[in-house]
Amino acid sequence: MNDKRELWIGWWTLVVFYNLYGLLFFVITRTQPPPQPSLEPAEIGSWFADRHYGLLYGYAVVSIVGGATAVMNATLAYSMRRMSVSRAFAYSYLVIYALATLPGMLIMGVVCTVGAMRPDRDPEIMSWLYDFAFLSFEGTMGVFLIGSLVWMAAVLLDENHVFPRWFGYLSLCNALTEVVVAPAWIFKSGAFAWDGAIAWWINMGVFVTYTTAFLTLLRRLIEREDFGTGPLPDLATDPGPGPSGAMKSAG
Amino acid sequence: MRRTDGETILLWTLPVVAVVWLSAFLLFPGFVQPMSPTMSADEVAAFYRDPENLPRIRYSMILFNWFAVGLIPILALIVLQVRRMAHRTPIFSYSLLACAAGGPTIFLMADLFWLLAAFRPDRDPQLTLLFNDLAWVTFSTQVGFLIAQSVILALAIYLDRQPRPVFAPWVAHFNLVVAALLVPAAFAGTAMTGPLAWDGLLTFWVRNAAIGVWIAAMAVVLARAIGSQRVADEAGAA
Repeated sequence: MNDKRELWIGWWTLVVFYNLYGLLFFVITRTQPPPQPSLEPAEIGSWFADRHYGLLYGYAVVSIVGGATAVMNATLAYSMRRMSVSRAFAYSYLVIYALATLPGMLIMGVVCTVGAMRPDRDPEIMSWLYDFAFLSFEGTMGVFLIGSLVWMAAVLLDENHVFPRWFGYLSLCNALTEVVVAPAWIFKSGAFAWDGAIAWWINMGVFVTYTTAFLTLLRRLIEREDFGTGPLPDLATDPGPGPSGAMKSAG
Repeated sequence: MRRTDGETILLWTLPVVAVVWLSAFLLFPGFVQPMSPTMSADEVAAFYRDPENLPRIRYSMILFNWFAVGLIPILALIVLQVRRMAHRTPIFSYSLLACAAGGPTIFLMADLFWLLAAFRPDRDPQLTLLFNDLAWVTFSTQVGFLIAQSVILALAIYLDRQPRPVFAPWVAHFNLVVAALLVPAAFAGTAMTGPLAWDGLLTFWVRNAAIGVWIAAMAVVLARAIGSQRVADEAGAA
């Protein structure tokens, strides 16, 4: 579908990026699942030493592909433009998630690179870098909290059936995980610590479900898209020889 | 006579801020002879304590702090040109808007680290080394938004299928070349010496030259596109 290539570029960027993100954080840099916050400075030194090349090369790749998030956020913002709600929702989402790239991965990349590049650095400073890396990553909540709530509100208010209502409630679950992660700033061990069952595992479980859900729903949105206004049509059983809708420029 | 929309004023801010950027670049003693990552903590501390260097570090970084975001109005003008392209959705212009804040924000983080290192140069040299590393690594490796900006712009131009496209195809090819030249800098953390190190040929000289050439070339292309847009608007209004 030639008319939809911009949407497909956005969708494939999302799919490729999330897979790459998983690979880079879980396999190459091995910074996820997160290590314990309670490590001693000497143990933190060996944590950095263990994944020296993984951190340096992995986060180099993160720096190269990090800007792809702009296309992803733009695609999701477009989905909100197709809804019956004000443009303010799409614009808020776009700005919030542009900002989210920094705590979502780039600060972690810079800090882990600085930690890994000088293994002989003072262990106390290495310990500070370790905290900075993981707390910037796990403990920056607002952008994802408000971003998910903006999306939730747009989905629940929308009359064009761009996303089903249940996805609005799933957005609420994703937003709530950002609330329960707050104790990571207080606890150094246990379920509420940054590597804990509540602060990390539930958070990650919901995030993976949420991401899989919106990738699937977004794909269906693109298939149904008619570039018109008003309710989004149901998925046509037979698309016929070509789109019959008038060429309208969206903007 | 067309109504003043201010776009020309925004465009002409570029040569002014470019002069400020160039002056700040030459003023910062760590750029003219880029600092080596092999410097020890004591050498880095001595660099910041040097009474010749200290005011130059502070004044240059204050200038960057003021004017680093000066590129954003130019990026906004590029977004407006992308809006004129024959696309079905605003995805490319939204993407470029999302990138526009990224580059300057990252540069401002680096700027803060340099200023912090210079604020109390008598601090423990290990801490000065830490701020200096954070500044250089942020400045050197964080090319993602600039790469994305060029790739998105190139894609937008390639998909602008109309008899008189907003930007000529060479602008798209040029943006892809610039994006490719920025890639090696992301690996600055992997090398203490050689072309990839933060003071190296690829990471420092090639990357910064590519950014400079991109700004200059895009300014010319943008000015022409705005010019022809006005001619077309006036012809349409007549």
